[in-house]
Amino acid sequence: MLLIDDLILRSIGITIPGLDLIYTLEIIRDFAFKELYNPEKVKNGLKENQMLYEFGEISRAEFEETRSKLMEQLKFAERFEEMNLSVRSDIFA
Amino acid sequence: MNTDNENGRYVYCIIKAQEEQESFGNIGFQGKEVYTVKYKEFSPVVSDMPFKKYDIDNEEDIKIHTSVVNEVMKKYSVIPVAYGMVFKNKKLVDVSMRFGYKAMKKAMKIVDNKVELGVKIILPQDFDGNLQKVEQCKSEFSKSLKQIAFDSKNLNLFSKRLIMNGSFLVEKDKIQVFSDEVERLRTKYDSFKVRYSGPWSPYNFVDIHIMSQQRGGFR
Repeated sequence: MLLIDDLILRSIGITIPGLDLIYTLEIIRDFAFKELYNPEKVKNGLKENQMLYEFGEISRAEFEETRSKLMEQLKFAERFEEMNLSVRSDIFA
Repeated sequence: MNTDNENGRYVYCIIKAQEEQESFGNIGFQGKEVYTVKYKEFSPVVSDMPFKKYDIDNEEDIKIHTSVVNEVMKKYSVIPVAYGMVFKNKKLVDVSMRFGYKAMKKAMKIVDNKVELGVKIILPQDFDGNLQKVEQCKSEFSKSLKQIAFDSKNLNLFSKRLIMNGSFLVEKDKIQVFSDEVERLRTKYDSFKVRYSGPWSPYNFVDIHIMSQQRGGFR
């Protein structure tokens, strides 16, 4: 019920410091998730991994290990984006 | 999604061919035949494949897609098609060709008799911090190669060590001149690491969206 209470209070111009703090923490958490599960960032990581392999700076085994990790991360990031968990902070932003 | 649908057509690229149908042999996915289906002066290069999602982490399939396009490029100028473009049936290929016809005519004018060449420059692992030299290297590479190329694009610098990621559309008869210039600059700036790649089909110079706002077209 926090969401409803928070929204109703805000709509009538009342802010409660405790709720505001929770709200701020939620925004920080959402930004952290967005940063961590940003598909573009993961794709850049994949490209960088490919580039380092092509330039001969990492071995095939290192390349494949990093690639496999990043592909998992990318799938998760894309699912996270589809879920759009941070929709609430977007409304207020 | 019905993954068993064998009426699907996977499109590798589009060419301008005179013949009604031409086979490039059994070089497609799972050894399937790669052949053309004609629409006016254009011919999509296809294989009969199931209508399903083609995963971007399937390195083997991506290699096959690239090798088919490279094979076709030996004989024709190609309008590239993104990996994973599969249509439910031949009729939908025809429909998309009809809707994309004008865009394809325009694209063919741009890519005809040209190839894409890539140049990446990265900082060495033990970079001494001489930013002036970095700027000089970037500037000279960019200026010299743009003079030879028909068109160029600066692509995403996806790594902190990447200082130049250029894609160049070059006429086929200028490939040697371009390559020689890359080699000259590589020798001049030998403290940087340079990767020269291609020839590729011109993915970065053609961007056709058919009946869809999303890349991937009408499927």
